[in-house]
Amino acid sequence: MNHSRWYVRAVDAIDRIRELLDSTDEVTVGTSMRLPAALREAAALAVSELGAATSITALAADALWQRLDALVVEAALDAHYDRYPALRPSLAELAIAAAELDGNPLASRPDAIRCAAAAIIERHPDADADDVLLWAEAQAASAA
Amino acid sequence: MLDNEAVQALLSISHPKHAQALTSVQVVNDRRKRSRPTKVLVPTAVRVEAGWDRTAPAAAFINQLRIVDVALDGAAADVAAALVATHHVSVADAHVGAALRTVAGPVTILTSDPGDMRTVAGTKDVVIVTL
Repeated sequence: MNHSRWYVRAVDAIDRIRELLDSTDEVTVGTSMRLPAALREAAALAVSELGAATSITALAADALWQRLDALVVEAALDAHYDRYPALRPSLAELAIAAAELDGNPLASRPDAIRCAAAAIIERHPDADADDVLLWAEAQAASAA
Repeated sequence: MLDNEAVQALLSISHPKHAQALTSVQVVNDRRKRSRPTKVLVPTAVRVEAGWDRTAPAAAFINQLRIVDVALDGAAADVAAALVATHHVSVADAHVGAALRTVAGPVTILTSDPGDMRTVAGTKDVVIVTL
């Protein structure tokens, strides 16, 4: 399949996922989804002992909905960045934004966050903004 | 939670704060991918003030960001009316104040007007990020 056909199919799929996530249709279907036994037992305990949800099914459905909802936003952001590459934030910019959103005191030290981002990405290319903040906090603590 | 200018920044690629607002949305979404329970909210009166009509073609991109409406229902209208009467803030800002009171847990407001946001937040502990 060439890239353009794949892209069109992916966009169509994301649009359809969005519609389905917003659906108020309460019709349910049985599935043959197999779960690892340990995961199922952990979910059962979370429901029965911690009140995490009304049922294992509700817990699983909510987790799945949240994951899919985040996935379609990620797809929208990626498509936007593909169209406007200058908008794509660096890891340091994401970490500075994360610090600001959290009210983290590191937000007033963006240079420290940039240094942490540069250092962590060498060892952990998949690091995210929160990893950078942890790294920067650890650096600040060890320097104190 | 978004205020008027944050919404306008997300609506328009040419808005000077578009990239900054977008980066904040991405941070929230990256955390959601890691199963951290967080989301982006917009009071509906803010949408009115910012001109965000979800049915308009111009809203196609911002609609894809899955930002959740906080409706101005009867109870929220009472709180917002009291905030307008007391602090002489706009209806949209008052709705932000009312919406804050319905959210459990920590809230961050993305705004260009930190003073008014601090006012409508009252005793609610919020983080305010200035665009």
